[in-house]
Amino acid sequence: MLRLIMTRVFLGCVTLFAVTLLIFAATEILPGDVASAVLGQGATPETLAAFRIELGLDRPAYVRYLEWLTNALQGDLGIAMTNKREVLATITPRLYNTLFLAGYAAAIAVPIAIILGIIAAINEGKWIDRTANILTLGAISVPEFFIAYILILVFATNLGWFPSLSTVYGDMGFWQKIHVVALPALTLTMLVMAHMLRMTRASVLAIMSQPYIEMAFLKGLPRRRVILRHALPNAAAPIISVVALNLAYLIVGVVVIEVVFVYPGVGQYMVDGVSKRDLPVIQACALVFGGAFVLLNTIADILAILVNPRLRHPR
Amino acid sequence: MAIQNSLKNPPISAKIGMVILVVFIFFAIFAPLIAPYGEAESIGKTWASPSAEFLLGTDNIGRDMLSRIIFGARMTLGVATACTLLSFLIGITMGLLAAVAGKALDQILSRFVDLMLSIPILVFALMILSMFGSSLFTLIITIGILDSFRVFRLARSIAINIVVTEFVEVARLRGEGLWWIMVREVLPNALPPMIAEFGLRFCFNFLFVAGLSFLGLGIQPPFADWGGMVRENGRAIAFGIPAPLWPAIAIGLTTISVNMIVDWILSINARPSGASAEM
Amino acid sequence: MEDFSKKLKDAERLAARSGVSRRDFMQLAMMTGLSVSAAGAMFSKAEAAETPKKGGTLRMGMEGGSATDSLDPRTYADSVMIAASLAVYDSMVEFDNAGNPTGALLESWEAKPGAVEWIFNVRQGIKFSNGKTLDADDILYSIGIHRGEDTKSPAKGILAQIADIKAITPSQISVTLSSGNADFPVILGDYHLVVVPNGFTDWENPVGTGAYKLASFEPGVRLVFENRGDYWMAGRANFDRVELLNIQDVAARTAALQSGQVDAVNRLDARTVDLMKGNNALSIVRTKGTGNRFCFVSRVTSPGFENKDLRLALKWGIDREKIIDSVYSGYAVPGNDHTLDAFNPYYNTDMPQRAYDPDKAAYHFKKSGLSGEITLSTSEGAWGSAVDCAQLYQESMSKAGITLNVKKESADGYWDNIWLKEPFCAVYWGRRLSADQTFTQVYGSGSDWNDSDWRVPAFDKLVEAARVELDETKRKEQYFECQEMIAEDGGMVCFAITDYLDGYSSKVMGVQPHARYDMNDNRIASKGWFA
Repeated sequence: MLRLIMTRVFLGCVTLFAVTLLIFAATEILPGDVASAVLGQGATPETLAAFRIELGLDRPAYVRYLEWLTNALQGDLGIAMTNKREVLATITPRLYNTLFLAGYAAAIAVPIAIILGIIAAINEGKWIDRTANILTLGAISVPEFFIAYILILVFATNLGWFPSLSTVYGDMGFWQKIHVVALPALTLTMLVMAHMLRMTRASVLAIMSQPYIEMAFLKGLPRRRVILRHALPNAAAPIISVVALNLAYLIVGVVVIEVVFVYPGVGQYMVDGVSKRDLPVIQACALVFGGAFVLLNTIADILAILVNPRLRHPR
Repeated sequence: MAIQNSLKNPPISAKIGMVILVVFIFFAIFAPLIAPYGEAESIGKTWASPSAEFLLGTDNIGRDMLSRIIFGARMTLGVATACTLLSFLIGITMGLLAAVAGKALDQILSRFVDLMLSIPILVFALMILSMFGSSLFTLIITIGILDSFRVFRLARSIAINIVVTEFVEVARLRGEGLWWIMVREVLPNALPPMIAEFGLRFCFNFLFVAGLSFLGLGIQPPFADWGGMVRENGRAIAFGIPAPLWPAIAIGLTTISVNMIVDWILSINARPSGASAEM
Repeated sequence: MEDFSKKLKDAERLAARSGVSRRDFMQLAMMTGLSVSAAGAMFSKAEAAETPKKGGTLRMGMEGGSATDSLDPRTYADSVMIAASLAVYDSMVEFDNAGNPTGALLESWEAKPGAVEWIFNVRQGIKFSNGKTLDADDILYSIGIHRGEDTKSPAKGILAQIADIKAITPSQISVTLSSGNADFPVILGDYHLVVVPNGFTDWENPVGTGAYKLASFEPGVRLVFENRGDYWMAGRANFDRVELLNIQDVAARTAALQSGQVDAVNRLDARTVDLMKGNNALSIVRTKGTGNRFCFVSRVTSPGFENKDLRLALKWGIDREKIIDSVYSGYAVPGNDHTLDAFNPYYNTDMPQRAYDPDKAAYHFKKSGLSGEITLSTSEGAWGSAVDCAQLYQESMSKAGITLNVKKESADGYWDNIWLKEPFCAVYWGRRLSADQTFTQVYGSGSDWNDSDWRVPAFDKLVEAARVELDETKRKEQYFECQEMIAEDGGMVCFAITDYLDGYSSKVMGVQPHARYDMNDNRIASKGWFA
């Protein structure tokens, strides 16, 4: 088991390295560079050239990448080319915010989705199953900004229970943050619940019709024991996979929420960085996102093995 | 008490779902004949309320909402179907292959997919855009490929659990080939969760398509598509104007219908003895 | 029975903000029984500068910022940074509400006949926030960072006309231009040209002569300013604290204003602003007809577009009124295919406003001898509603029998890859404060930004002559002719000039339309106060 974890960690690092290389190459290939993006309508051949020389962009690509890599390995993520701010200092509070929001939403969504999914599977066809399905399906049918606007309209503009702006600052207390960030967290919860709930339901349903479950019931085992000890571990794999995918989404996919609620997270930082082709910013965000995926997928794979011992010795 | 489901007796929910889907497909095929106005005609005031003239009101530049929804069925359903089919084809094949074909291939494919998932969608889409330009074909390929990575993760995790069962071991010992094992042993058992996933991904893609439109990769004007209509009219809801509700409801109805049908298909799996979780 | 006394009070408050005309006010006042002279006196009193009250925290929510923003004046491109810069820095030349240049840190100026040599007087007794007194060297340095071979500033182009600039005394600067320009002071009012101390480079910790000091800056999120306490201009710098939040999404911005989380927002959505009219807690300030010019520009050197008849077909085939009605809910005026607006003193009032004429469009298209589709490149990256405008254009052209293909391009890199490259695309132009600047930058043969690629020596000659012409009548004639040439022969289809729509809490005073930019020329932090 330990060897497995070590292998996965090593492979994860290799993947991360490949991510940074790939993103670097992608940004180079994309038309335009930071000089043309920042100068915009004000760009002329001379100003473009001056900008590029000042940032060292006239050096070959591999030199610049290696320089970035050596610095990154020592913990120096460089300086943004657009506004000369330290990338590490800028991204750290934003990363904390992103994780806070993702954690907030996940803490609500994951338990509810899985529990409701199991209940829906057990009560297949009954009203609780139908209602849970229709409500969550309705929620994922609409884009994130839509749910966000409706929640803002109802809870901020009309009722005034929560603020419409969720900007958080370093000096805010924990419970104040919980209050201010409630609406985006609620939006995200509604968005991810359906996927996890339906996958839980489908997976449990598939297992429930297996002969050994029927056998367990016939043996007289209590329902709770059958579901928790016999059915769930086998249904777990796809559930874990979907939960991992949704957790990853909560970290990397919520730019629209950040924009609508003015929440300073990593998503907006990356989008602005890509728009201005600011390489150090893009690379740092790629590291964060790549790291999130690698970490979550690794944990998911390890959990899957724990749950199904046969996977420890495949073949 | 469990409801007896079979191929011949769909439950109410699936029946309703099928009716709704048929209506939308009807819209898609016969749009020019049933829609009261043209797809791109701007004949009313912006964001007018529903009236006798415009049954669902008008949109952000004064076009009839009802007509746009009818016409929108074409692009919405058509593009989403194409994308989802493509992503599932790629994702399931790769996922099953990774589970069945041995550790090395599994690691290579999984890490490759991790790598692809880590590339922000924005960067990925921009790259495709710069290399292939924007067209409907590029759009479908882009979304199909982007989605396939997530389908891969799911398919692989399900398949891995199936591959370690006795059935597959027996098949291997029998000397069955890779392809046979994949299609005859693994796939049928992997189907139920994958069908559930298909139902969901199909509907995610309505919005995914619209989400890429600011990059120029979406559906080009003047064609209507429901996701795009929600996007264009979206901010009106913040002011209490109901305009974006109509395409959102269209998407919602389609999502619910498709998934009710999926539920029915899944429940056919139930044991003939009627025994189910309820015991 | 109408509550006239309340209405009168509201009208008085409006008068203080120049929100109601003298005539309207008098009509209302006299309805309450006041005599003509009493009503007139009341108006004058209300209109006279209300003494601004000091205190309070102004919270602004603005669109136009990004996580890549910087306080370096050479990088300013959008509203949030411009507004931020004007809180901590001052400019050399300001503009009054009608758009005429007035002295700021450059107190006054005079030109020698011929408008080639200029003398500027530096305002005395002004201190930077670090205690240093303002002198000519600071001005020279502040201009200098935007000039020179290796500058990367976008202001380099407009300053190219300076042949020589030097300090005569610590309080006087002499400028020699490469050729005469009667409107030169307007150039020094460019938003990039703010004044910093001589040799200053620490942009993260700005030192300026402005009303406020920077307390914190998170790019793309928020700026916080504290009043520095000793601002040199009376009646300004009235808030204790100013918070500038970057709110890109229009619905979020409006909701924040409506729920009272911010006191001032820019760029309200024209299509929904009427819904807020009934709310007495808010005031909407509309700057009419001097906002952005929205255009579709064709490059006259591209195949097909060299044909003048085709260009005329494009201009007759666009339904300006419909676009203004549907996309801007009437908050715009039609453009007449040259980019001047009616408030410019040289606006050609002789030319009839071109309107939608499908027959003329069809006629010119046929006369051009061309056939097939015309492709228009547009994007949300050009301006937010550019795709909507293009779709309406497509409709109106199809009624004239011309197929216009709308190609929605990526918002990313629009200005790099599409503008100045594609043969027919969407572009917007901000207001330039002199006709000369407009004609030189947008239509001049030597300009890098001549997006229609329309380079006509006769036109350049006209513009050069007008630049130094002191006889107003003659100058007007010359500029009138310029506009005719552009509208008739050029590649620009300028169809709308939009209004700016700012939203404020009704407690915020000193909010007035300004002929240059929104939010009182981006100076609301400096000029405003709480009631």
